[in-house]
Amino acid sequence: MTRALLRLIGARLLLSGLSLLAVSAIVFAVMEALPGDTAQRLLGRDATVQALAVLRAQLHLEQPAWARYGDWLGGVLHGDFGTSLVARRPVLPYIAGHFGYSLLLGGLALALHIPLSVSLGLFGAATRRDGPIDATISAVALLGMSAPEFVIGIFLVSILATTLGWFPPLALIDQAHGPLEVARTLLLPVLTLNFAMTAYVLRQTRNAMFDVLRSDYVRLAVLRGLPPRHVLLRHALPNALAPAINAIALNAGWLVGGIVVVEVVFNYPGLGRLLVESISFHDVPMVLGAALVLSATYIAINLAADVATMLLTPKLLVR
Amino acid sequence: MARRLPRTAWFGAAVVVAYAVLSVAAPWLAPHAPDEVFVGGTFEPPSAEFWLGTDNLGRDVLSRVLYGGRTVLLLAGSASAISVAVGGMLGMFLGLRRGVVDLAVMRLLDVAMSVPPIIFALLLIGALGPSAPLIVLVVGLLFVPNVTRVMRAATLSVAGEDFIQAARARGESRAAIVLRELLPNVAGALITEVSIRTGFAAIFISGLGFLGFGPPPPAPDWGIMINEGRSTIDASVWPVVPPAVCLALLVMSLNLFTDGVGRAIDRTAR
Repeated sequence: MTRALLRLIGARLLLSGLSLLAVSAIVFAVMEALPGDTAQRLLGRDATVQALAVLRAQLHLEQPAWARYGDWLGGVLHGDFGTSLVARRPVLPYIAGHFGYSLLLGGLALALHIPLSVSLGLFGAATRRDGPIDATISAVALLGMSAPEFVIGIFLVSILATTLGWFPPLALIDQAHGPLEVARTLLLPVLTLNFAMTAYVLRQTRNAMFDVLRSDYVRLAVLRGLPPRHVLLRHALPNALAPAINAIALNAGWLVGGIVVVEVVFNYPGLGRLLVESISFHDVPMVLGAALVLSATYIAINLAADVATMLLTPKLLVR
Repeated sequence: MARRLPRTAWFGAAVVVAYAVLSVAAPWLAPHAPDEVFVGGTFEPPSAEFWLGTDNLGRDVLSRVLYGGRTVLLLAGSASAISVAVGGMLGMFLGLRRGVVDLAVMRLLDVAMSVPPIIFALLLIGALGPSAPLIVLVVGLLFVPNVTRVMRAATLSVAGEDFIQAARARGESRAAIVLRELLPNVAGALITEVSIRTGFAAIFISGLGFLGFGPPPPAPDWGIMINEGRSTIDASVWPVVPPAVCLALLVMSLNLFTDGVGRAIDRTAR
């Protein structure tokens, strides 16, 4: 590793830290925009003046917004995300539990996504360009790119779960017993996410492969009589991987948002569904915590993707 | 360039135009009002009166899909217009201006892009209450950083060319340079951006509707229709399938068009 590379990574880390701070401020400011006052909303219209005053003092509503933001951020740094307004219990255990489920779902989806999409792209590139197999793969990929993930999810549920009864229609993983049942509940959400993500990486891999296959050094390798599989995997693939990895990184970032919708489709107890429900309940501390953790994950994924791209750029490694 | 467009791109454009015509003509084409309830007529299968059946409240699915197309096209089109107008101007300005301003704005956009879009949209719309103008504004602004990046890159690739230098040397105003020299050369990128962002916005806005943050009734939105129909999918698939297919077909046609224009530009450049 060179000094230039280290400096680039350092700058990227600093930017990520700043982004996280900015995100926390943005999230807090948006929640401040909620109409009405939190105490009034919680206690309802016929609350007594005394009760309102007590609750306002408890929630520090008499302080200015920036002071409450400072308190909240300070608490978060110490692992105190505040108390849920609905459940009346600390937010942190809820967020940690739901985040674990989301990580499991997202991680599994990604673990299937990478080998599946790259090998499908390779398979397409191994056939004749715009031939029947290549054209079929491209058409299916276009369909996967065009249908929103909730549409795909609902169709999978209605065919595989409701009609055929092979899988449970809802992914109630917290009520599943044993690894086999857990796997059965996870399969449909994982498949849904993969349907939505595969097309992009597949197309990037295929296009990059066709570009590389046209280059002189690959043609020379073919002319030298090397077996086609060897040329494809050893000569062409390494140079076609950069666009594929770039696309996978973008998909990993997309996953943070995509998982919100898929969790709602399958009633999966993840952080995304917790966020959506907490927003409808106006449970401000829960919303703040969930949004912050999801944003931090998004920033971390983008950071990891950028660093991976830097490490894979030979120009940066040499100097 | 138009003659170089592949057939798939023409097909995509034709479908989008058909959607636009059907949306404009919805009040004359729809056999019923979108929120008219036929008592005792819930979950009807397709018939002469209800071509696509009825939903859980006994409303005509065909009429709701037609009016829903209006909502989606209007909202997604407006959001796309906002993002391309703002991002296009900003990108072209930065690409010509360069220097410290460019650097500062681009870093600022990097920070803005570090908020996951769907979460930001859910927070804002959840806090302020869903309304069509707010949804358009939020989705439009969320796409601005991406459009800015693309248009800035497109501008940078042209900015060094001789004809721009010549126009500068002739002492032409910046507005004249942008309008006469730059714009014709980045028009392809601009068109592709409109088409890409409209497709993304259609998915994004129906996703919001699906999550319960869509435009308020009576405007039927395809995302809302899909969400309402999915809990009763055992009783009838008709309230769900037509809006889902219409949404996927719209986005697919936009993708085909985008793809074709992109390939035509590629070939012209070579």
